[in-house]
Formats: sequence, C-alpha cells, structure tokens
Amino acid sequence: MGDILEFKNICKSYPGVRALQDVSFSAKSGNVLALLGENGAGKSTLLRILSGDVSPNSGKITINGEEQIYSAPNDAIKMGISVISQERQLVPSLTVMENIFPGAQPKTKLGTIDKKKLRSESNAIIDKFAMPIDPDDLVGRLSVAHQQMVEIMKAYRRNSRIIAFDEPTAPLTESEINVLFGLIDQLKAEGKIIIYVSHRLAEIFQVTDEIVVLKDGLLVSQLTTSQTNENELIKAMIGRDLGDTYANLKRNDQIGDVILEVKDLNTNKLKDVSFTIRKGEVLGFAGLIGAGRTEVARAVFGADMISSGEIHFDGKKVTFKEPKDAIKAGIALCPEDRKDQGLLLFRTIRENVTMPILSRIKSGLFLNKKLERELTEEAVRQYTIRTPSINKITRELSGGNQQKVILGRWTNSRNSTKLLILDEPTKGIDVGTKAEIYQLVCDLAKSGLAVIFISSELTEVINVADRIIVMQNGQITGTVMREEATEENVLSLAMLV
Amino acid sequence: MSNQTLSPDTVQKQKFSLLSLLMRKRTLMMLLLFFVILVIFAVLSEGRSLDPRNLMNILNMMAVSAFLTQGVALLMISGKLDLSTGANGTLCGMFLAFVLREGVPLFPAILLALCVGVLFGLVNAALVNELNMAPFIATLATSLIGTGFVIMIAQNRIIPIRDTTMHWFGSHMLLGFRNFPGVPVSALLAFLLMTIIGILLHMTKFGRQIYLVGGNPQASMLCGINPKKMSYILFIICGLFSSAAGITLVARLQSANMQGLVAQRFQGITAAVLGGIILGGGSGGMLGAFVGLLVLNTFSNGMTVMGIGPGWHHVASGGLLVFALSLEFLQKKQAEKTVA
Repeated sequence: MGDILEFKNICKSYPGVRALQDVSFSAKSGNVLALLGENGAGKSTLLRILSGDVSPNSGKITINGEEQIYSAPNDAIKMGISVISQERQLVPSLTVMENIFPGAQPKTKLGTIDKKKLRSESNAIIDKFAMPIDPDDLVGRLSVAHQQMVEIMKAYRRNSRIIAFDEPTAPLTESEINVLFGLIDQLKAEGKIIIYVSHRLAEIFQVTDEIVVLKDGLLVSQLTTSQTNENELIKAMIGRDLGDTYANLKRNDQIGDVILEVKDLNTNKLKDVSFTIRKGEVLGFAGLIGAGRTEVARAVFGADMISSGEIHFDGKKVTFKEPKDAIKAGIALCPEDRKDQGLLLFRTIRENVTMPILSRIKSGLFLNKKLERELTEEAVRQYTIRTPSINKITRELSGGNQQKVILGRWTNSRNSTKLLILDEPTKGIDVGTKAEIYQLVCDLAKSGLAVIFISSELTEVINVADRIIVMQNGQITGTVMREEATEENVLSLAMLV
Repeated sequence: MSNQTLSPDTVQKQKFSLLSLLMRKRTLMMLLLFFVILVIFAVLSEGRSLDPRNLMNILNMMAVSAFLTQGVALLMISGKLDLSTGANGTLCGMFLAFVLREGVPLFPAILLALCVGVLFGLVNAALVNELNMAPFIATLATSLIGTGFVIMIAQNRIIPIRDTTMHWFGSHMLLGFRNFPGVPVSALLAFLLMTIIGILLHMTKFGRQIYLVGGNPQASMLCGINPKKMSYILFIICGLFSSAAGITLVARLQSANMQGLVAQRFQGITAAVLGGIILGGGSGGMLGAFVGLLVLNTFSNGMTVMGIGPGWHHVASGGLLVFALSLEFLQKKQAEKTVA
C-alpha cells in the first residue's frame, strides 16, 4: 500500500565527464535508503535529478510506476518530493511560520494573510516534532540545526512523500544529530520514503535500512544495512583501475632537505596542523571535501589569516602577509577552482602564463613582449598544451589544458619556485591528461621541487604521493607512506572518528 | 579546431585570436558609426556641421569629456566604477575659482584643486576596499556629498576667473591653418595624455595588471598582485582626471558655476562602454574609449547644429548606450556559439 520511488536507467553526462551511467534502483515507503560514494561518485547529481534541477540525458523517475516529468521548478514539490540540500532554501528575513508556509499561507476573507491561523497551524507542526522553536522567530536568527528543522517541517507541511537529505549532519553537533535522527524515525514511521546522503559511515548504520553505493557514476552495489559492515562498504566504494599508469610513473627517488616546516598551525578552520615536506618530495593530502586541506594550502600561501603557529620555509621563519610574499619566497599555489581562482578565462594563454612573472619580463619601463612570447611557448612545449596559438583565450581550452596553463605559470625558467602546491589538479580532467599530470608532478619533484598534492581522489593521491597526510575536520588524523597506504587505511583515517 | 601543439607555423596565426578580432571589430564598428553620424548630419545640415569652426567646437567639447573618460576607463577595465567623476570635477573647478579669487597664485591653486580630486579618489577607494561597499553605491554617496559642497561654495553665484594662463589653457588654439582655427590647448593635452595612457596600458606591467585584476581578482591575488593596492591607485587616478576635467571646464568658461559638469557627468562611462570597455572589467582599451568619445560628441554636436534641443541630446546618448550594449550582448552570444 506504500509508495515506491524508482530510478530507471538514469544517465547523465557533462562535457568530459559521465556523472551517472545507467543507474537503477528503487526506494520503498517507510524505509531509509542511503546513497554512499566518494566525492564525485554521482550522489549529488542524482539528488539534483530527483529535485528537477538537472534533467537526465536518458532514463526516468517513477513513483508507483508512474513516470514523473519535470517541466517547471515547482514540479518536484507538486509530486511530493522535497530535497533538503546543504544550502538552506529558507528566507532568513522571514519568520519560521512564514517559511513553513511559503506561498500557501491561510488567508482571511479580505485576502490578507491570516496570521492567527498560520501561527496555530505552524504550532501544530512544531509540536508534532517537539521542537523548541517559536513560529514568530526570525529564521535568520535560528541556529543552523534549527534552520534545518524548519526545512524538514516545511517538507512535512507539503505532505511530501519523498524526503531526501544531502549530508544533513555536516553542520550539526552530536546532540543535534540525535534530534535529527529522531525526526527521521518519525517520518519513517509515517511511511515516507527517505533518501539519505552522507559520508559518515557510523550514521549510515544508525539510521538507514538500505544502502546504494555509487562509484564513478555507476551503481556498484545495493545492500541491506543490517547485513553489511564498514569494511564491505569501504571496499565497495573504492577500487578503480588506473594501476598501470601508476606503476609506470617515473618517480623521483632523491629526496633532499626539509624545505617547509609547519608547526601547530591554527586558523578558524584548522586545528594544530603540523607537518614537514622535503625537496623532491611529493606530499599528498587526502581527506573528504571540507576536511581542511585547501585551508592548509591557503594558510601556508598567505592567502588566509593565521591565528597561531609557525611556518619555516627554506631554513627561515616566515610570515606571509599576502600571497605576494609567499611567491617571492618561492611558493606557488595552483588553486582548486580553475575557473574561479585560477584562470582569467577571457584572456589569452600568454597573459595567463606570465601573470606572476611580469616584473621579470620587464625591460626598463615596458614589458618585453618577445620574451613573454618565448616563455609562453616554452611552457606550451614543456607541458604539451594543445592549442593552435598562445593567443587563444583560455576559456576555449579543455579542462586538462587549462590546468597545464596554470602549471606553466609557476614552473618556467624565470620562476624560482621551490614548493608547488597543487589543489585538486585533476578535477574534471579526462584519464589521459590525468596520467600526463601525474608524470609532470614526478618530473617536477625530480628537478628538486617539493610538491604538495591535494586530491579528493583516493586512488590518485595514494599512488602519486610519496607520503600521504590524511585530514578530517581541520585536523591531521594520520600520515601514511605510499608503500603502506591502502585505500582502506586512508579512507578510515578520513572518515572514522 | 586544430589539436596540435604549438609549432612555428601556427605561431604566425596568433595575431588573429578570436576575442581580439571581435574587440577590434567593436572599435571598427564604432568608427564606422562615427563616420555614418558625420555624414548623416553633414547631409541634414547641408554641410554646416563640417564647417571648420564647428569641427573645432567638437574638439573643444571633447577636451573635458576626454579627461573624464580616461580616468574612469582605467577604473572600469580593473572591474570598478566611479559615478562621482562629475561631482568631483565640478567641485574642483569651483574650488579652483574660489581660491584664485581669494588671491592664491595659479600654480598652488591648481595643486590644491588636484588634491581635492585625489581626496575623492582616496575616499572612494577606502569605502570600496575597507567597508566593502559596492563601487556603484560608494561613489554615488561621495557624488552627493561633493555636489553638496559645490552648492555651499557657490551660494548660487558664478565665480569668475581672471587668470590669463587659465584663459590660454581653455581657449588658446594651436595647430590652426587657413580657416581652421586650431585645437584648444586643453584638448591637445587631453588627447596627448589619452595616447600616452593607452600605450602604457598595453606596454607596461602596471597596465597589464589592470587587465588581470579586472579579469579575475582572486586569481590575480594568488599570482602575487595586490588588488586592493591597485584599486586605491586607480580610484586616485580617476579622481585626478576628474579634477582635470573640472579645471578644463572652468578654464574654457572663464568662470565656475554650479551646473559645472552635471550635464557631462556620465559621459566618461558612456564613452567607455560605447568603446567596448565592459562593465565587468578585464577588457577594452583607450583607443576604443576615444572612438566612443568621438561618436558621443559628434552625435550631440550634430544635434546642436540642427537646432535640436538639449533634452534630445540626453535621449540620444541613452539610445546610443542601449545600442552599444546590444552590440555587446550579440558579441557575447556570438562568442558562445563559436566556443560550442
């Protein structure tokens, strides 16, 4: 008699990436189904398809056998689907009750909003979940946890049959998580279909009934929660085949002196981070998104404020007020977001490559355009950037070539880079170019550069780096040498408390 | 599209990259528009608009707006905006007339007026960088404040300027021949500066950095450029050029009045946009801005010659702007198509 939600052969691809490939599974009412997978496995895409934000290239979603067709943004809500995403969909300047009843407020005879009725109806819902919230509170003043509760009540008020949660516990404290789980149990008892996306394995065992594991856009297994264990799940999530690429890498085996030492670094996102890296070493940073890896890079590079801690670089204690100082000392950062922080998409390869070395290609007052051209051509050759001309605007390049432009920026002969920080250098890049970039990293290490290699792709980071630092919640949870690193031990350092 | 690595023969083709071609087309398009406007008004006015005296008039008019344009154009390339140029210029002109009347010698008086311009730039930059205000709002506020000071100093009177050097700067003609009276000194100076700045913009490190910061401030910061410092310098430069515009105006009129640059306050931005400097920053150049200026001024001069009232000038400027922005939109659409 309950509802059944089915995903049938869902395929979705973006330029250069297959986000979902022939994914089919179903969810029953009164059940909590977990979607599990590494970063980029396709969980979020699936939720966005469910909410109608994204339309699949092929495949369909059915509820009780009936195909659901999305044509307007409101359609998912009409079908009884609520997706509670990480970004709140609330109006902070309005009250709780106004948020619970968006666009559906009870009216008086005059056509104005019937505040009294609105309040009493909101109170009924709030009482049902026994929440310590007043319907007249401004949503913007509530804690993150309570805001989330308001979203759940909003979904409940709409009589949603299907409620999907995307990483709901990420911003919550332990006791708040327990309240959330109580709520989910209540919704479950009412026969809702619940989809629960989370990285945290312990939670999945606590609240879910079934688990769907995704990997690289493929559904790799569907399990019953009570009949599986953490090890089985971790195994299902990993294990890709790039084995030969890694085996064939020509690595650097001459590791030199310590070039960077970070001692008890604290920022508003990091806690007591300490590590060292040597010349010629490739140091991997593994962890989930939001674990604090990017923040370490930015703090070392002088892009973020440091509240306490010491940084020693090249034998000297340093304090970088801005990236300019770090660059002068010989540190380079290739940021994680190529489009937002890396490239000038509407300027040419030439202008992008020479960005940090403008003062070195000056002769007198003017820029030496001939030298600029030569240096750019050198970078294009060295990194095999595929382009008809150095004056092509970078927006027109593929992701892999864009990444090479950024690399070329820091490693040409006019630069004195000693430490190169690569933040997610292979994100959104095809396999072939990835292999090229791995070899480039090893070549740079051979030339004596220290390389920090941050990646959310486990297989990659444990196979490319000489040593892997694992982070979780802004702290370092362990260091593993490549020889001993397995996806299992790194992932458990990254995920388990 | 070719998928080969750079080889010597492909290097030859680099001068024809897509965007620069489109940008060049934009300037060319505006130049074309300029000639079309010139011809249309020449025909309509039966040649009166091409009278040498009238051409001189156009140049005279352009002197003030050329100063306004170059400062704001630099700022716009870096991704910022200044709405206070008109108020700034008016106040500087008024202030100059005021201190001259009080007996301050010309040279220090001009320095003082320029200081007012610098102060404007400094305040604008501080509001934008320290208080994180949107340039649009910050400069709107300083523009209102500046206008307030103008009214207080002027007290509804016109302040005459009797200094002969100022008269020379405002109205003396150079390079005249036959029945062409020549180009005013102020216009020559404005165009000369515009040329120099245009060259510096393309040839120097600082010029390049203006484009980089405008193109992507985050990425520029991570490449060791200090966007905040750049923004301070450019707001101050813009303030300086605005006061130069105001000084030029009072030199030409031989007096300062409350109206000042009110009618021209948006000419700089309009000319820059017409000439292909997009509001988001990161592209365009001085040549384009100059052509935009030409279009704007020939158009409004043509209308004056035809005896069309000043109300229509504003309507026409607005129309031109809409026209230019539609071009930008079409250009972007075209660019997207070629990428896909």
